Amino acid sequence: MQRSSDLVAHSAMFSPVAQAPPEPAGKKKVIYDQDHRGPLSTDTVATLMLLQADNIDLLGICTVTCDMWAKQETAYALRLLEIMGRPEVPVYMGAEEPLLNTKDEAQMRYQMFGSRTLGNEGYLGCFAKDGGSRDEVMPLPAPYSRFAQIKAQPEPAADFIIRTIRANPNEVTMYCGGPMTNLALAAMLAPDIVPITKEVIFMGGGIHHSTSSVNVYFDAEAAKIGFRAGWPKFTLVTTDLAEEVHMADDGKVDYIVDHAHSPIADLFRRFEQKPQRDNSRRQSFRMPDEMMAAHVIDPSIFGGFDEMYIDIVTHNDGHYGDTSFWEGDWKDVGEGTELSGQNNPSIKAGRVQVLNGLDKRRFRELFIDLMTRPINRSKT
Amino acid sequence: MTTTRREFIKTVGAAIASSQIPPEPAAMGATSDPVLKPAAIPRQAAAKQKVIYDQDNSGPFGTDILGTLMMLQADNIDLLGITLVTGDAWMKQEMAFTLRLLEMMGRTEIPVYPGAEFPMLNTKEEWLLRLQLYGGHRLDPWMGAFNRTSGGPEEIKPLPPPYDRFSKIKAQQDHAARFIIKTVRENPGEVTIYAGGPLTNLALAIALAPDIVPLVPEVVIMGTGFHAFTKAFNIFFDPEAARKVLRARWPKLSIVTVDIAEEIHEGDEIAPGRRMIEEIVSRAQSPISDLFQRYAVEPLKNNPNMHLFRMADEMVAAQVIDPSVFTKSEHMYVDICSTPGPRYGDSMFWPKNWQLLPNTGGRPVSLEDRRVFVDPRQFYLGPPPSAGLVNVLLTIDHDRFKKLFVDLMTKPIRGA
Repeated sequence: MQRSSDLVAHSAMFSPVAQAPPEPAGKKKVIYDQDHRGPLSTDTVATLMLLQADNIDLLGICTVTCDMWAKQETAYALRLLEIMGRPEVPVYMGAEEPLLNTKDEAQMRYQMFGSRTLGNEGYLGCFAKDGGSRDEVMPLPAPYSRFAQIKAQPEPAADFIIRTIRANPNEVTMYCGGPMTNLALAAMLAPDIVPITKEVIFMGGGIHHSTSSVNVYFDAEAAKIGFRAGWPKFTLVTTDLAEEVHMADDGKVDYIVDHAHSPIADLFRRFEQKPQRDNSRRQSFRMPDEMMAAHVIDPSIFGGFDEMYIDIVTHNDGHYGDTSFWEGDWKDVGEGTELSGQNNPSIKAGRVQVLNGLDKRRFRELFIDLMTRPINRSKT
Repeated sequence: MTTTRREFIKTVGAAIASSQIPPEPAAMGATSDPVLKPAAIPRQAAAKQKVIYDQDNSGPFGTDILGTLMMLQADNIDLLGITLVTGDAWMKQEMAFTLRLLEMMGRTEIPVYPGAEFPMLNTKEEWLLRLQLYGGHRLDPWMGAFNRTSGGPEEIKPLPPPYDRFSKIKAQQDHAARFIIKTVRENPGEVTIYAGGPLTNLALAIALAPDIVPLVPEVVIMGTGFHAFTKAFNIFFDPEAARKVLRARWPKLSIVTVDIAEEIHEGDEIAPGRRMIEEIVSRAQSPISDLFQRYAVEPLKNNPNMHLFRMADEMVAAQVIDPSVFTKSEHMYVDICSTPGPRYGDSMFWPKNWQLLPNTGGRPVSLEDRRVFVDPRQFYLGPPPSAGLVNVLLTIDHDRFKKLFVDLMTKPIRGA
């Protein structure tokens, strides 16, 4: 038996993969993968944060079906770049459907097993009953007003992710604000990118608030592949953390409407301030994607993290997409007794750093600063 | 724009309801698309049958290699490329065998693409734990690349005779899934896909590019079963991939089940007292004769009770080369269980015309009868909502299949 590397004939059997030399580090290189719900949502606001931050080199925006169908999201992302004066940022349309999950099955699971239980969420994104269909692209409301003149790139998002990480080894941060469908496809097509990705940051799952969230249970198989892949650093924003701050807290919205430049002020006026004034009982959303963006822009806003193991249930039943967590420093408390082996993680569980210790004051300052500073039109 | 799309979606919905295979929206041409740049698709004239050959090509001999030899020998086949996938063996070991086999057969012009090295989710460790937890589930305990003796994904063992050494030709750099996407788009409606292993590469290709689905005239796969076993290796090695591929709305997807494959074995006779393998060794040219001599005739001499394998992938090849050897096929709905329990990887079938019809004692069935008896709230015998509609090959002409196989093995080596 020989290892492949011992065989000269064979280590050369596969042509080497071309790699560009690493470029000198300046700004933080980010691939922004998002289920980009328009006109304004946690997704879009996070996009605005990354566009406004001057320490971020936004290599590309990838879209993925979840909150909306990918085509509709792509239409919003392209036009948002135009109205923000950043048409040079390339947009790649990603997976239009989850790896396996389908709308019919998502609906039927809810009928059979009940929707997600109390304290959990029943949100199904575009798999909701009135969620439209894959190829329907609805007109964009003001201030988007029309479809963009710029177009998405013809390359699939997964291929762009692979190409970009290979060209910038150990430099690219993968922001995954939607289901991990694109990331899972990239990791399956090119396992070599896993060890050379600087960091993956993902929002989903939870321990106390809810055991799962739409980014996980929309494509549970992709989440399982993504969590298990073995990235050097996988940072997680759980629903527990995201629930700590809501958009309507502390007069943020009014301040932004009054102080931000166009089109940000306009977006907040139309899609946060007005709905809130029209309906005082409207529940404003938690800020999960904004927290991910904050972590990418200034990680010091978070006090630290818990090392944990995570795995995903892919049974096609009421638990589809549930998350399970285990302590990262678990010890066999029953070692040597009949209780041995009762608290270990699953055999293939992934290791994640669960963010904690949010500095709410600094998060608010950063957020308001980014939203109200002059529109950042600098080319990357 | 929105109106026309809505109308189109309605048409598609109606087509699905009447069980016709609808064209995928992307096939309509994306010139007016508000989002995506249009991709140009050049069209070529077809002469021979263009085929992408996706295989877990486990050497030195066996159903995988024999399927490959049939495709290499058939005159009516234009083999555009071979794509490999971990299944019966690890992908890199299969690559070593495949490249060298092409050299020995004088077919170095055929490009070979490395594909998925691992199933989408399944792992060896979990497989072993499932066996302990739920019990073993098959007559034959084959685990392919996950066998104890199969080494690791990076291990490439030296090749035995008549392969003897590693090839001088090299694999392509592109991933199998990308080659499939590119080739199908460049030859719309012309490329048949032979899928003889786990369906990981094909699942990746359609996840990346759902627009290729309506452009493939036929996909032929090996796996699933009704009676012999409902868990077939190619399916339960990667059940998630199989579920994805079988559910896609291909214009035609034909299945060689384990049941039909079990009807004919490599050790069967072609005439009374004369086995196919002996016939081939006596008439075939090198290296085919060497392969049969070393890996079929001699082992059988040493151990007359040796079990020679069913001709699974050879039947997939036959469906591509000469589908008329199959005498009966039927459209059925199929789905794969991907819940990681005791039925992980099971295949389930439903008849295409699953409606429950009333017994009217000879009187013609009226609409009123149907309304009463076919109320799906009372009797639902149909498939789940996303099940695929596939063409299941049910019977095969044994003599014609054996003749096709022996003819291909014994004719002069085809050459480039």
